[in-house]
Amino acid sequence: MVNGCGGSTDGEGCGCGGGDVPTNTPVPDGEEQPAQFGPPPALSGPEWEEWAEEVLAETDFDTELGKRLARDAYRIADGDLSKEAFQRRHGDRVEAEFGVDERPTKTTLESAASIPRVPDDHEQSRRSMLKALGAGAAATATAGLAGCLGEDEQTMATTEESNGQLGMTIDVENCIACLQCSEACKEENNTSAAVHWTYVFRWAEDEDAEWDDDHDDSMTRPCQHCTRPTCTYVCPTQARYKREDDGLVLTDYDTCIGCRYCEVACPYGVNYFQWAEPTDEAGGFDESRTDQHGDTVAGNPPEGVMGKCTFCVHRQDSDDPDLVGTTACEDACPADAIHFGDITDPDDAPQRHLEEKSDSNTFELLDEAGNEPNITYVGPEPSSSATPVEGPVSYEEMDMTEHRREEIDARWAGGEADD
Amino acid sequence: MTDDVPVERVLRPLHTTTWKFLALLVLLGLGMLLFLEAWITQLRNGLIMTGLGDWGTGGGVPWGMYIGSFIWWVGIAHGGIAVSAAVRVFKMDQFEPIARIGEIVTLVALPMAAANIVFDLGGPDRLINTMIMWPQTVHHSPLAWDVAVVSLYLVLSMTYLTLTMRAELYALMDRVPRYLRPVYGLLLLGYRPEEDEKAEQMAYWLAIAILALVPLLSGGVVPWLFSLVGAQPGWFGAATGPAMLFESLASAIAFVIVVGAAFRYAYDWEFIDDAVFRGLTKALTVLSMAVLWFLLHDTLSGVYAAPVQDEALTETLLTMPLFWVAVAGITIPALYMLATIVRPSAYSLPAVVAGAISVSIAIWIKKLIFVVEGLLYPTTPPLANLYPTGSYSPTAIEWVVVVSTVVIAALLIALATKIIPMVELDPEEI
Ligand code: SF4
Ligand code: SF4
Repeated sequence: MVNGCGGSTDGEGCGCGGGDVPTNTPVPDGEEQPAQFGPPPALSGPEWEEWAEEVLAETDFDTELGKRLARDAYRIADGDLSKEAFQRRHGDRVEAEFGVDERPTKTTLESAASIPRVPDDHEQSRRSMLKALGAGAAATATAGLAGCLGEDEQTMATTEESNGQLGMTIDVENCIACLQCSEACKEENNTSAAVHWTYVFRWAEDEDAEWDDDHDDSMTRPCQHCTRPTCTYVCPTQARYKREDDGLVLTDYDTCIGCRYCEVACPYGVNYFQWAEPTDEAGGFDESRTDQHGDTVAGNPPEGVMGKCTFCVHRQDSDDPDLVGTTACEDACPADAIHFGDITDPDDAPQRHLEEKSDSNTFELLDEAGNEPNITYVGPEPSSSATPVEGPVSYEEMDMTEHRREEIDARWAGGEADD
Repeated sequence: MTDDVPVERVLRPLHTTTWKFLALLVLLGLGMLLFLEAWITQLRNGLIMTGLGDWGTGGGVPWGMYIGSFIWWVGIAHGGIAVSAAVRVFKMDQFEPIARIGEIVTLVALPMAAANIVFDLGGPDRLINTMIMWPQTVHHSPLAWDVAVVSLYLVLSMTYLTLTMRAELYALMDRVPRYLRPVYGLLLLGYRPEEDEKAEQMAYWLAIAILALVPLLSGGVVPWLFSLVGAQPGWFGAATGPAMLFESLASAIAFVIVVGAAFRYAYDWEFIDDAVFRGLTKALTVLSMAVLWFLLHDTLSGVYAAPVQDEALTETLLTMPLFWVAVAGITIPALYMLATIVRPSAYSLPAVVAGAISVSIAIWIKKLIFVVEGLLYPTTPPLANLYPTGSYSPTAIEWVVVVSTVVIAALLIALATKIIPMVELDPEEI
């Protein structure tokens, strides 16, 4: 089978950017790369030709085809060529040449990163990707790209642009505390009762009991998908990790041992442990539970495993281009308060919204914690004496509960768990 | 003082078993049944059976009694063998009769510490992943460090115990019941009498290594588990390491006092004499004072110059009855023990034992508060005020399971007295 990108569960996905990473070679931060692992020379020049030929000569693949594929793959990544065009041009030959998939595609991000699975800055990330491209035969890399393209261009785009970082701009000024995002998240991810992967804070600066549309503020709080995710550093199994492709911070449900260390190490309070057998709150989660690398990371976690906002990873890795680049909360928000996308891309929603609101105050939550969150809020920042207030609509009124303990106790008393 | 140890007396528990001992076994066995019932219930239904919950919107604490007990046991383990190592390195011959008790306390406490982690994770299978991933995680995960040091410590103390025992076991071979001989044979695998001198030397250096490791482990790696988690106020503190070290040593010596007194009572071992207990009492007094001293520091700096959230935390701490129980549980015995030093006539072994028990329970409470407090008042403003303040009420299951580790430890020690002599004997005298 051609190693696909979307929803492939064997191995670690398409090898885009991963290619043939030298295995078991930890790459210490900032270390110079040995010459043979250097990045490929600029695409256009004769140097590149020479380099590609040299690398391809070491493989069994057709050198000319490899070069052409590589060139076009780069063009796709740059947005100059569509997936369809690529497919038309090369589809058959790719199939003929690489039909039997023997490419070593298992990325070894775990060992390549100094901190769980991902280097801690984008530069580093880009470098290690280039290193991977240079180190692996170009044929592998390009065939990997071709394989991806055959399956799904969007995934390829995010994967190829592996230095991107998904994040949000959340507009406090626009937010109307309607709790639609929380509700949509529950339905999308089928989270258990009283679990709010995204939760709406509603606060007042002066202590008034009643919600006041003009004075009081609110904002939603998903996981911040931090650039320096303290949750990943403490994880004893690397179940909590930062995905190199797009900066998502995810939990591998298969390897998490439920120690809850990530939960205590996160300053934002976004983690929810699955204390009991999950209940189907919203009719089950029927999206793919595995991501493009085959790790089980999406939806409500099983009992004894940690869960938190995934930025709807199943959408980001979906075959449906309409879903990629969206989240359930963003879709549900009637007030245009949530802007999701690649925060490093000036043309994507988060930066565009910041541009629009360039006159407003912006802030990051718990700046001083040093986690470098990837959510920027627009509007007034809650002060250190802000007090929570009852918003225009409560979680109870929307048939959601905020009180986990009570919910758990009630369930317990209801005899759901016999014995 | 070894010369005064009557070999016959020390060996008696290996040969004769009284009905009192059997009654104790039955009692502890019943405790075990209760424990199994509680644990199986938790295994079957998950951690929902505990009083734990999520901090944040959940208003719970994700870590509670199991983690608190874990650090308590680790502390006892670290201190126990340190007592024995100190006796060897500093040639405190007078304390030789309790040296092995220290070693046994360590060997029993370490598995109890590990057990608490298993309870907290929800099942033994959970540990496997930690082991598999260890090479990758050890450079960033404090828990991985802990797995490393606990294992290291276990290996060190088992080696130490074996080394210090072999010559003795060899000499004893003919004097122990027949059914124990295979066990001794196993422990003596490859033994040659010529090795004694070497073994003695190795034990000496191991003892030094152990003494050097204790401040690093009990006063280092364990507090780092918490203090490196900057997210929660209350865990970060430069003095946490030293404070924990003193708590470890105090609770370990308290354990040695209790176990030593139990042996003296049960087996008529008068040779563990009052001079030994008085010496231990002195050490415990000083250590308890040190623990209080650190507590005072923590509280004072928490009430005065602390950041908002730490201040709130400390202030609530001061209104918590449990906190004052812990303070009293250390202060009162410390004062009494101080009195026995000033006025030797005030000394009474039962009172000292009661004091030791009180100190170790108080230290357990302190550990529990330490784990939980940061999570009751988690994170920093503004999020700290936007989230509800946490609450935690441990369930009956947690209580039973945690208390059971003491029962299991007692059971293991009781059984050990039937296998090896609990007091070091001089092979020459046997
Ligand atoms: S917000 Fe918390 S859980 Fe999310 S990435 Fe940051 S540290 Fe990890
Ligand atoms: S709960 Fe799971 S994801 Fe979190 S630190 Fe522990 S093993 Fe890692």
